[in-house]
Amino acid sequence: MSQENRPGRPPGRPPESGAARLSRTEAGLRGPFLCFFTSAVLWLVVASVLALVAAVKLHRPGFLGDCELTTYGRVVAAARDTFVYGWGFNALFAVNFWLMAQLGRFEFRNGWLASLGGATWNLALTYGVIQILRGQLGGFSLLDLPREVGPVLLVAFLLSALWAVVTYARRPSGQNFVSQWYVVGATFALPLVYLLAQLMVLWFPTVGTVQALAHAWFVQNLLFLWFGASALAAAYYFVPKILGRPLGHYYLAPVGFWTLFLFSGLAAPAALLGAPLPIWIQSVGVVASVLSIVPIVVTGINFYATLSVDAGWARAWNSTTLRFVAVGVVSFTLFGVLNAVFSTRDLSAVLAFTSFAEGQRQLLVYGASSMILFGASYFILPRLTGSLWPSAKLVHLHFWTAFLGLLVGVAAALIGGWQAGHQLADPAVSAAQVAAHAAPWALAGSLAALLLLVGHVAFAINAFGMILASTTPTSEGRHD
Amino acid sequence: MKNLNLILAGVFGCVASVWVGLLVTAQVQLGSLGRAPAEEGGPLFPAREPGLAIQGRAVYLDLGCVACHTQQVRPAGQGSDIARGYGVRASVARDYVLQPQVLLGQRRVGPDLANFGARAKSDAELAAFLAAPAAGTNHPPYAFLTAERSAALVAYLKSLRQDYSSPEAKLKQ
Repeated sequence: MSQENRPGRPPGRPPESGAARLSRTEAGLRGPFLCFFTSAVLWLVVASVLALVAAVKLHRPGFLGDCELTTYGRVVAAARDTFVYGWGFNALFAVNFWLMAQLGRFEFRNGWLASLGGATWNLALTYGVIQILRGQLGGFSLLDLPREVGPVLLVAFLLSALWAVVTYARRPSGQNFVSQWYVVGATFALPLVYLLAQLMVLWFPTVGTVQALAHAWFVQNLLFLWFGASALAAAYYFVPKILGRPLGHYYLAPVGFWTLFLFSGLAAPAALLGAPLPIWIQSVGVVASVLSIVPIVVTGINFYATLSVDAGWARAWNSTTLRFVAVGVVSFTLFGVLNAVFSTRDLSAVLAFTSFAEGQRQLLVYGASSMILFGASYFILPRLTGSLWPSAKLVHLHFWTAFLGLLVGVAAALIGGWQAGHQLADPAVSAAQVAAHAAPWALAGSLAALLLLVGHVAFAINAFGMILASTTPTSEGRHD
Repeated sequence: MKNLNLILAGVFGCVASVWVGLLVTAQVQLGSLGRAPAEEGGPLFPAREPGLAIQGRAVYLDLGCVACHTQQVRPAGQGSDIARGYGVRASVARDYVLQPQVLLGQRRVGPDLANFGARAKSDAELAAFLAAPAAGTNHPPYAFLTAERSAALVAYLKSLRQDYSSPEAKLKQ
């Protein structure tokens, strides 16, 4: 058992004698990292409450039904946006920032610019979410924040995230590792895609169903090239780092990187099978979706080859960080396999418009990205605050509720979606019967949302307890 | 892969080539579609939305109805949409050319609405259903809707029709 999980000692850096010391690299990062991280955790709790309300409304439509602010459509959009743009983006800004500075041994001197970007991002998002709940809602998921918020988010993203590219360009060490490629690629691709999608869907809408295609392309890129690529970057760092061994089959990593960036966007039309779009576009989507298995296989070989020797899995289980990261890595592989298999025409025809796709997205956004982000937080925060996690019990509570919530939520969405899809394919089964059969799965979805809320509150209490108890570490005496 | 410019150029190439190959090409293919008659000299379809329906579209968006309802009828062989009575033919791209936001939707917690106007009940029955859905359905009650907004929403829902012939999808006589 690693020091992180020794009974009675909360995970984190072991206590040092005297004042906690930060490396120069970490000292420049502390401010912006904590700005992004605290915002991320606050948004995570808000998103979890909204997700629970939305989940309950699916099987009890009358719940909070007297209030227009809480229609299912508004609450589910607000929950999705707070989770993705609030938790996901802020946490990825923080972790990407830390990764790039650590790997490049870069001393960061203009942290206030990144923090300004973070403040702008969070203010714009707060305004956007309030507007969603008030009913200013677009019709495109993940592009449903009010149109005027888009340009502000784009500028805030450039201020917050582009430092990762600067860090790579000006790294004094010249060190080069696969995590850096993924962070640079994700940070460069997302603003391009966001800008083009904003223009084609919201500001100068294209005619007819091309809008739907542009929207699907944006969502696909957001999920794969931002959430997926950034999570992979962190996993590529933490798996070999904590196990203390080189990455298995490292030479394959460039293949995984380039195929992920090539096939991800191309696979977007697979979500629109049967839609009023030219058949060739839909066929391209299916082929690219199946080919997306290539980066999944390559990343799988890299991670599992590293984890499978010298009792790697057992050691991963005994390290708080690696336990979360390992769940994330397995979720990513599972997601990739499901995505390739279930985008084929026959299966997609049955499962379209059910909760099945939602279950797959949950595997990527929560199972892979968020679990890896949690693991990264357990590693980074003690180093930046100079404190220990206040409660080991809350750490365990967080892991088990997050893991069980993920398991129950994904299983309910996938099995419920599979069942509903087959019932919908049979015209003899009425819509009311389909809805009645879906109710138990929706109830399981509420249970999952409740578990996740409990876990996230435990995480938030622990994280804020740690940050508030932290001293201001000095940078004297420690060098990278 | 130590060269930043190589990574940036490669990523830009991946994103840009997909954008041009899929989205720009689709825009070139579909962007010039407009209203058209099924037969020469016939009426133009899709029909323009009446003013009240345009207000109703805003209500539909405000309430987030798109979270549970799709507006697309898939062709036979791709799901059972036509057999379930959601439409009399598959939706085609031309059906959406007048819509400022194309609300195809992604989830069917409730029925598809692409051709709802063709099978809708009377305005009064529909308004009553929205305010207090019948027991046994999974539709939430919207008792908070004012009479004006409810009427606008009903007008929008009844304007949703894809039961006309178009050059790409002729109805069987």
